[in-house]
Amino acid sequence: MNWFVFTLVAWIAFGLELALIPVLDAGSSGVHPSMTIPLLAFIALYAPRRPALWTAIILGITMDLLSPMLRTDGGSVVIIGPYALGYLLACHFILTIRGMLIRRNPLTLIVISICSSFIAQIVVIAIFTMRDLGTNPLFWDASDQLVSRSFSSLYTGLSALILSIVFFALAPAFGFNSTVPTRFARHI
Amino acid sequence: MQHQPLIVRWSMPITIVALIVLALSPIQWTNWTNWFSAQVRVVISPIAHPITIAVDTIIPPPIADPAASDRERVITQELDRVRTELLQTRQDNKRLNELVDQFSRGAAITPELDVRQIRRPRISSLVGDQLVIRTENIPGLIQGTVVVVDAVQLLGKVSRVDGRTSTVLPITAKSAPPIMATVLLDSEGSKQVLCLLSPSDGSTLRGEVARSSTDEQFQVHVGQEVRLLDNQWPQHAQMLLIGKIERIERNDAQPLRQRIIVRPTVADFRRIPEVILRLPVIDETDSSLHGGTP
Repeated sequence: MNWFVFTLVAWIAFGLELALIPVLDAGSSGVHPSMTIPLLAFIALYAPRRPALWTAIILGITMDLLSPMLRTDGGSVVIIGPYALGYLLACHFILTIRGMLIRRNPLTLIVISICSSFIAQIVVIAIFTMRDLGTNPLFWDASDQLVSRSFSSLYTGLSALILSIVFFALAPAFGFNSTVPTRFARHI
Repeated sequence: MQHQPLIVRWSMPITIVALIVLALSPIQWTNWTNWFSAQVRVVISPIAHPITIAVDTIIPPPIADPAASDRERVITQELDRVRTELLQTRQDNKRLNELVDQFSRGAAITPELDVRQIRRPRISSLVGDQLVIRTENIPGLIQGTVVVVDAVQLLGKVSRVDGRTSTVLPITAKSAPPIMATVLLDSEGSKQVLCLLSPSDGSTLRGEVARSSTDEQFQVHVGQEVRLLDNQWPQHAQMLLIGKIERIERNDAQPLRQRIIVRPTVADFRRIPEVILRLPVIDETDSSLHGGTP
């Protein structure tokens, strides 16, 4: 995998993520699509196992660093781990099922982006809810977060549809050279 | 895979364990992450900002009054700014007047003792039945420091002092120790009767009063003030207001001792926005020198 191309694409994806939140926010309720999840799903579909997992960790840590949580005393705090672990589990999910998927179909990227986003968000919610069991001065309402993040996951399907065109066009530049065994077709 | 160095093979499990530890570690241990967050934002900004400009160009942000001219918009903005400043100044003036009044009333309780009164905000989170207040580093703040509300309403004592915050145990908290108090039987306070109050239901105190005077004029009744008179508390805290008698219950076991329920003048200690710490310039915690309880 070409790490330089990945870094460049991830940089742009995070830029889009930050810049488009106010525009794509559905009713100012915290429901907005993710630009990084489709990238993660795309890499997990094509890249070898170990680089794909490291990619998930890097994207997740970056997302953690860009997502400060509000404290009840008015400040904010950056917690590293929830997104990184969520993305890692989502990547592992895609790595597990990718042998049964038709990868060149944009619909595949859309569906697995939605599913992996669900998985990642559930891990994030679980971790913050676990923190909330102790003395946790964070603004956190698990049920509200579950609703908004579930709709965000569905909304991510839209960004995956648009980004799939770009990613499939850039696929050769990423330099994937894995021989992933597929269930119904020849090795790619 | 088998021929990879040990560090490469174990790098992924070690990273996962580290992430789990970081994700669940207390917030006070994760302050160093703010620096990394700032660096990531520095890296992302060069791409996010041009995209934002492009998006704003394509989809202009909504304007409050699209029909207004540029000149009208400037005047409206100026008017809004001046009105905001006026309201802020009024509010600030009101707050400072209240603060001066509170400090004056607080200092008037024990004019012979030099007590510093420091106002501190309450942090919203509540640890058990204790209040958490932001104190930063206040010289002289120790465990046992007296905390009041509204200058004279006794709130409790500082139970723990941390680097940035302190916890206060309210007198009404179920884990609070009993306190000795005195009921003012008349408005001048010339006639008093002692009582021992214990926390009741988290918002009131309950206790028995010593036999009051046989004089009908000096009887315990609802609405009378109850004030602190306990040698376990510092001298400057004596006679701070505990509350008013809410009701009087009959004590069948001891008919000569009435049981009173006292409610503080503040409705709910857990919802107060700020507290006042009473810090004596000279440590007065050694109450044996000053007495306090008859």
